[in-house]
Amino acid sequence: MARLHAEEMVLNMGPQHPSTHGVLRLKLRTDGEIVSHIEPVIGYLHRCFEKHGENIEYPMVTPFTDRCDYLASMNNAHGYAMAVEKLMDIELPERVEYLRIIFAEFQRIASHLVAVGAFGLDVGAITPFLYCFRERESILDLFEMASGARLLYNYVWIGGLAHDIPPGFVEKAYEFLDYFDERIREYDRILTGNKIFIERSADVGVMPAEVAINYGVTGPCLRASGVNHDLRRAQPYSIYDRFEFDTVVGKGEMGTVGDCWDRYNVRVLEMAQSARIIRQALEQLPTEGDVKSAVPKKIRPPKGEIYSRSENPRGELGYYIISDGSSVPFRLKMRSPAFCNLSVINEIGAGWMISDVIAILGSLDIVLGEIDR
Amino acid sequence: MIDAFASWMLQFGALSWLGTTPATILAMSLVAVAIFIFVALNALVLVYVERKVSAFMQVRLGPMRVGPMGTLQTVADALKLLLKEDIIPRFADPILFRVGPWIILLASFVAFAAVPFSPGWVPADMSIGLFYVVSISSVVVIGIVMSGWASNNKWSLYGAMRSAAQIVSYEIPVGLSLLAAVAVVGTLNLQEIIAAQAGVGNLFHWIPIPFPNWYIFHSPFLFLAGCIYLIAATAEVNRTPFDIPESESELVAGFMTEYSGIRWALFFLSEYANAAVVALLTAIVFLGGWQSPFADLAGARFGMISLTVLALIWTIFVKYKVKRLSIYPIGTILALTVIAWLFPAFAIWLATPGLVWIAIKGGVVIFLLMWFRWTFPRLRVDQLMYLSWKVLLPIALINLAGVAVWMWLTGAISLVG
Amino acid sequence: MTEAEIYSLLSTEFGDKVVSFQGEEKTPFAVIQHQAIHEIMSFLKRDERLKFDSLMSLSGFDLGGAEQPLGIIYHLYSMSLNHYFAVKVLFEDRENPKLKTINDLFRTADWHEREAYDMYGITFEGHPDFHRILLEDDWEGYPLRKDYVQAEFYRGMKIAKEK
Repeated sequence: MARLHAEEMVLNMGPQHPSTHGVLRLKLRTDGEIVSHIEPVIGYLHRCFEKHGENIEYPMVTPFTDRCDYLASMNNAHGYAMAVEKLMDIELPERVEYLRIIFAEFQRIASHLVAVGAFGLDVGAITPFLYCFRERESILDLFEMASGARLLYNYVWIGGLAHDIPPGFVEKAYEFLDYFDERIREYDRILTGNKIFIERSADVGVMPAEVAINYGVTGPCLRASGVNHDLRRAQPYSIYDRFEFDTVVGKGEMGTVGDCWDRYNVRVLEMAQSARIIRQALEQLPTEGDVKSAVPKKIRPPKGEIYSRSENPRGELGYYIISDGSSVPFRLKMRSPAFCNLSVINEIGAGWMISDVIAILGSLDIVLGEIDR
Repeated sequence: MIDAFASWMLQFGALSWLGTTPATILAMSLVAVAIFIFVALNALVLVYVERKVSAFMQVRLGPMRVGPMGTLQTVADALKLLLKEDIIPRFADPILFRVGPWIILLASFVAFAAVPFSPGWVPADMSIGLFYVVSISSVVVIGIVMSGWASNNKWSLYGAMRSAAQIVSYEIPVGLSLLAAVAVVGTLNLQEIIAAQAGVGNLFHWIPIPFPNWYIFHSPFLFLAGCIYLIAATAEVNRTPFDIPESESELVAGFMTEYSGIRWALFFLSEYANAAVVALLTAIVFLGGWQSPFADLAGARFGMISLTVLALIWTIFVKYKVKRLSIYPIGTILALTVIAWLFPAFAIWLATPGLVWIAIKGGVVIFLLMWFRWTFPRLRVDQLMYLSWKVLLPIALINLAGVAVWMWLTGAISLVG
Repeated sequence: MTEAEIYSLLSTEFGDKVVSFQGEEKTPFAVIQHQAIHEIMSFLKRDERLKFDSLMSLSGFDLGGAEQPLGIIYHLYSMSLNHYFAVKVLFEDRENPKLKTINDLFRTADWHEREAYDMYGITFEGHPDFHRILLEDDWEGYPLRKDYVQAEFYRGMKIAKEK
C-alpha cells in the first residue's frame, strides 16, 4: 500500500487553555495524538518584578515577592527577607524564626494541596481538587487570622513580622493539624491508589536524576527523581536544623523513579512532613518576644552582594541582590524554581501523547506568576 | 400502542370524523411530542441532579439560589442558553456546523421510539427493538464528527476523531454483552425480553435465595455481561472515565469547543438523553425493566424487610468506616417497609409491574454513571482502546460461550435434537 | 571545599584567566576573563574535586554608566559535595557584549541565557535557540540596563509612563 501523505500539525495549547495553570502557551508539534516537540512560550504574565525592584526601597519589594508565586507568598517573602537580613547582618528574635517556619510550612502544605488537586484535575478527577481546596481554606483562615489577608499577605517583613499572631492561633493551628492527618489518608483513598490514576501517571514523563540536575530542576520534582536534596536539610537556613523531619524521595513504587506518580506522591508525603515540622515548631514556640524588635528603622544594606536561597514549595528560590549602599536595591534577581522546572518539559514530555503532556505539566506544578515575574 | 391510542381517539364524537390513517398519524405526532417533552424534562432534571450529586460528593451545596434548593437553576440556565447570541465562527463550515447538533439530538431522540416504559406502553413495539436502539444510538457519532470537523478548530477535530474511534470500538462489547441476554431469551423484542424476566426464583438458578428473575441474577455469566454492558455503555455515551472526546482539561471541550447558545444546549440535551437511553436499556435487558422485584403481597413485605436489614448493615458499616452518617436512606426504606406492613394495598402496588419500577432502576443506573464521573480520573486514548479491544472484547466473547454452557447445564437448551 | 580553596585551585589551573577573587563578600565570587568562560565552567563541572553539577542561577547585571561594565554572574552548587562557588564575567564593551554559551554543560543556562539577553542584550554564541524569552521578539531596548529609555509606542500601543 502506498504511504499516505502525512505531516506534523502544530497545535497551540494556550495561552487560554484550562490546563496550562495560567497564561502559558505550549507550541506542540503533533503527529496524531503523539507530541514530538514542545516549545513553551512564556512572558504573558511578565510584570517587570526585577525592574520594579530597582526602583523601590527594600521593604517595598516584599509585596512584589508575594505576587510572584501567589501560591507560596509566605515562602517568597521569607526568602527575600532572609536575603536582606543576611546582607545587613540582622539577628532575629527566636519567636520570629519559629513563627516564620510555621507560616512557611503551612504555606508549603497549602501550595502542595493546590498542586495535588490540580494534578488530579489534569488527569480528569474533579472531586479531589475540591477536597484539597477545602483543607487549603482552613490554612488560609489561619493566615487571615495572623495577617488579615488570604492570598497576598505582606506578613514577613525584613527583620521581623508585620504583627504577632493573635490569641487563639496556636490552638487553631493544632486543631487543623489533628484534622489534616486524617485528610491525607482520604487523598490516598480517592486518588493515590486509584487504578486509573496510576495508569495515567505511573511511568509517564520519567525524569532521570541527571536530567533533573542538569536542567536545574529542584524541589519535589528533583526529589521525585530520586535525588535526596532538600535545602532545609542540605544547607539548613533559618532554624530548620532544630526540627526532625524526613526528606521524601521518589522510589518509583508504581512505575519508574521520577515519573508523574512519584512527583505527585512526593508532594502528598511532604505535606505530612510539613505538618510534623509545624507540630514541633508550635511546641517549641517561645511565648515571649517582640516580633518587631529587630525591624530596622532605615534599611540601607552595606555595599556588597549576596545570593541567598531557600526551599520554596516548588524548589530552590534564590535572590541575588547587589547593594550599592542606598535604600534601593541596585540589582534584584529572583531565581524562580518553576522557571527551571518548566524548561525541562520538552526533554521529558516529547514523545508522549497530548493527554500525557497535560499530566506532565500538571506534575511539574508551575506557577506562571513566578516564571514570568 | 399507537394503534390503541388512535382507536381510543376515534371513540370520541369530536374526533370521529378523522379516518383511521389520519388518526394514526395524529397519534404518532402526539406520542413524538410527548417523548420530546420527556427528553427535554429529562435533561433539565438530570442536569440538576448531576449538579447536586456532584456537589454532595464534593462537600458543597450546589445550586441553592434559584427556586427552592436551586431547583429552578437549570430552567434559568436553559433560558439563558436559548437567549444567547448565535455565534458561528467565520471559518466554520456553516451548513455542517448547524446540522451536526441536530443529528446528535435526533439520534438520541428516536432511540426512545422502541423503549417500553410500562406494560403496553411502548411507542413502537417492534420485533427488533433492541437492535434498533443499539444501532440508532450509534448514529450520534456522525453528528459528532460533523460538528468537530465543521468547527474548523484543531481541538474540535481531535475531539471528533477520538469520539469516532471510541464509539465504534465500544459498539462491539456493547453488542456482545447484550447478545448474551438475547441468547437466553431468544428474542430482540424489548417487551418480550422484559416479560421473560417476570417472577421470583433462585439466585443463579441453583442458590436457594429468592431473587427476582432478572437476567443479572440469571447466571454469573449474565451478571458479568451486565457489568461489561455498563462499562462499555458509559464509554459509548462519553462519560467519565471515558469522556476523552470532550475531556475538559485536555481538549478544552472537544467537539463542543466552538459551540454556544442553543446548539450547545442541544449537545447537553442529547448527552442526557443518551444517558437515559443507556440507563433504560440496562434496566430493560438486565434489571427486568418495568417488572416489580416482588412476586406478590407476602413477597413485597418480606422483600422490604430484607432491604431494611441490608440497609441497616450498610449504615452500620458506613458509620464504622467513615464515621459519618446519613439517616435519610435507611429512614426512607424503613418508612416504606412500615407502610407496606400497615397497608396491604401499598404492598400489592409494590408487587405490580409498572412505570415506577423502570424509573427507579433507570435512576439507579444514572446515579451510578454520575458516581463514576465524579470519582474517577480519565483514561488516556490508547488505554481506552486497550480496554475495549484487549479486555472487554475477549471477556465478552468468552462470556457469550459461558452463557451457552450455563444454559445447557440448567437444561434450557440441549445438545441433542 | 571553601570558596577560597576553589579559587586557588582555579588560579593555579588557569593563571591569568582568573582575574580576581572577592572573598569578603557574603557570597564570594571570582572574576574571570569572559573569553575563558566555557573552559573554566567545563573544568568546574568535570573536575573530581569540584563536581559542580548544578548551575543554580545565572544573572546578568549592569553596573551602570559608560565606563561601568555589564556582567554576568554564575552561581554554582555541587549537590554531591555540597559546596558553592560563583563566577563573574565583566564586559567593557557595552555595545556588543558577546559570550560563549554554556548551554551544553548546564541546561539550566538555556533559558537563563535567553533571559540575560532579553534584559541586558548580552549575546551568547552557540546557543541553539537564541531569542528573547519574556518580552516580545520585536521589543526595543534591553529594559534592565541602567541607560534603558522606554519607547513611547509598541506596535502602535502607547506604553504607560511611570509617574
